[in-house]
Amino acid sequence: MLNALRWWSGILLAFSLLALSRVFLPLPFVIEVVIFSIYTMGCSFLLGRVGFISFGQPAYLAAGAYGTAFYLFYFGANPYVGILLGVLSGLVVSLIVGPLFVRLRSDYFALVNLALAVIVYYLMQKVLADITKGDNGLWFLTNIASTPVLDLTRPNQFFVFALLVAFAVWAFYKYLDDSVFGACCLATKINEDKLEFIGYSNYRVRLLAFVIANTTTALAGALYAIYLGFVSPEITSPSRAADPVVVTILGGVGTLYGPIVGAFAYTGMKDVISKLIGNWELFIGFLLVFIMLAGEKGIWGTLQPRLEKLFLRGKAATTPADDGETRR
Amino acid sequence: MAESGHSLVVRGLNVSYGESKVLFDVDFTVAPNQVVACVGRNGAGKSTLLRSIAGFLKPLSGTISSDGVDLVGRRSYDIARLGIKYVPQDKKVFSDLTVRENLELGSYATKDYNWDRVHDFFPKLKELMDRKAGFLSGGERQMLMIGRALLGSPKVLLIDEPTEGLAPSIVAQLKEVFGALSRNTALVIVEQNLPLVCAIANKVYALKEGRIVAELAGESIRPAACEPYL
Repeated sequence: MLNALRWWSGILLAFSLLALSRVFLPLPFVIEVVIFSIYTMGCSFLLGRVGFISFGQPAYLAAGAYGTAFYLFYFGANPYVGILLGVLSGLVVSLIVGPLFVRLRSDYFALVNLALAVIVYYLMQKVLADITKGDNGLWFLTNIASTPVLDLTRPNQFFVFALLVAFAVWAFYKYLDDSVFGACCLATKINEDKLEFIGYSNYRVRLLAFVIANTTTALAGALYAIYLGFVSPEITSPSRAADPVVVTILGGVGTLYGPIVGAFAYTGMKDVISKLIGNWELFIGFLLVFIMLAGEKGIWGTLQPRLEKLFLRGKAATTPADDGETRR
Repeated sequence: MAESGHSLVVRGLNVSYGESKVLFDVDFTVAPNQVVACVGRNGAGKSTLLRSIAGFLKPLSGTISSDGVDLVGRRSYDIARLGIKYVPQDKKVFSDLTVRENLELGSYATKDYNWDRVHDFFPKLKELMDRKAGFLSGGERQMLMIGRALLGSPKVLLIDEPTEGLAPSIVAQLKEVFGALSRNTALVIVEQNLPLVCAIANKVYALKEGRIVAELAGESIRPAACEPYL
């Protein structure tokens, strides 16, 4: 009970700080952080829990974004329906490619996902240009209808909605983490043969994890589409394929707060450093090298034990589960 | 041909690793609640036999059945669900998971959440429930692996070198546990510890270069009789 309270108080504090940051920071920046953290949540789950590194997340992001965009450009005006269709698009794409991809070894999995991102990019840019409008993209900002309670056409209300969605996604991953399925995912990462002789199918565990992670990514894509009112093939550009992986590593692989911290740090650095230095990616590159050399724990992975020590007055050090390993 | 009435029947089993053939026409039966030991030198094919039964290796030919159900071609998780559990030699547990989480994995797969039996056999596990499995000693890991395999009351437990590298006190404890387990479960144990084998086994198969070269039962199971095959 006390542990549960500690967990929930932690995340409530984190999201309260995120909500409060709206007062001090520009709205577009905070919205980008919130959506990026949802985008990274799936990647972090795949990498931290299942051991799959994916350079194809932009493909699933695009599935969500284009699912929403097609509806709002061609068929309807309700943004909530658009988001729902975006999520369903991501689910369908994951269910189509997942059964093939999850059979692969982690290194091949990374590359085949990158190939998918390239395929989706060219599909949206060239092959389906008649309906995607190619590089010009689909503009539908003025098509989006105002909605009661939370009007997503208003940036302030969109921010509240995105924050609530991010909180729900976080709570869902926390639930997964504590469930037997979460343990199965970690077990398949540690030793897939052993999971099989306990009585679990590695394939099914991986497929479910893959579908969950990429549907989350599609949700982020749908949110991007609504927020920007515009979608172009640039969203699935292979040059941005490493972004969610970078943010995952930056925040701390396999940690629940990592995607939020990583998204904040990455977006912040991008905004601040790009004003000072033209090639800001160079700085991120050096930072990643430093993080890897410093112990691969990322920002949250490094901060977490220190914060626990500070706030729990050393109690964490005596709990048997705390052995210094990164734990979600 | 499947033979009913036996917990496990292996007939004419041939297994290879690529071009290299490892098992040759192995015939093997295990009756309910029987303790069967496999002895032999390193490389004789003992572990390969267990891995083939557990579904990790596909035989070239031959049949493996349990209570008349053909096991060849089934996936290892499917075989585990049929009640044939494999405890491998390497003592590697899911190190990032706690003892409790390791047991939960076993429970969820078998829908058996009664851990009393596990705790009765291995009381020490009760004290270690919140410890990460990676921090357990070799003996404790073996207890956890056998304890987890016990969930769901398996028909057959395939245990590969359970006492390798363990302290004599733990070996003595495992001996007691195997004796008690055999009241409800058939055991197939690959083991080099002859005093243990002779104390618990009802039947011993000796393997040499992939072939069963001797079958000992009852009074004939003595260390002196097994020694030539090691």
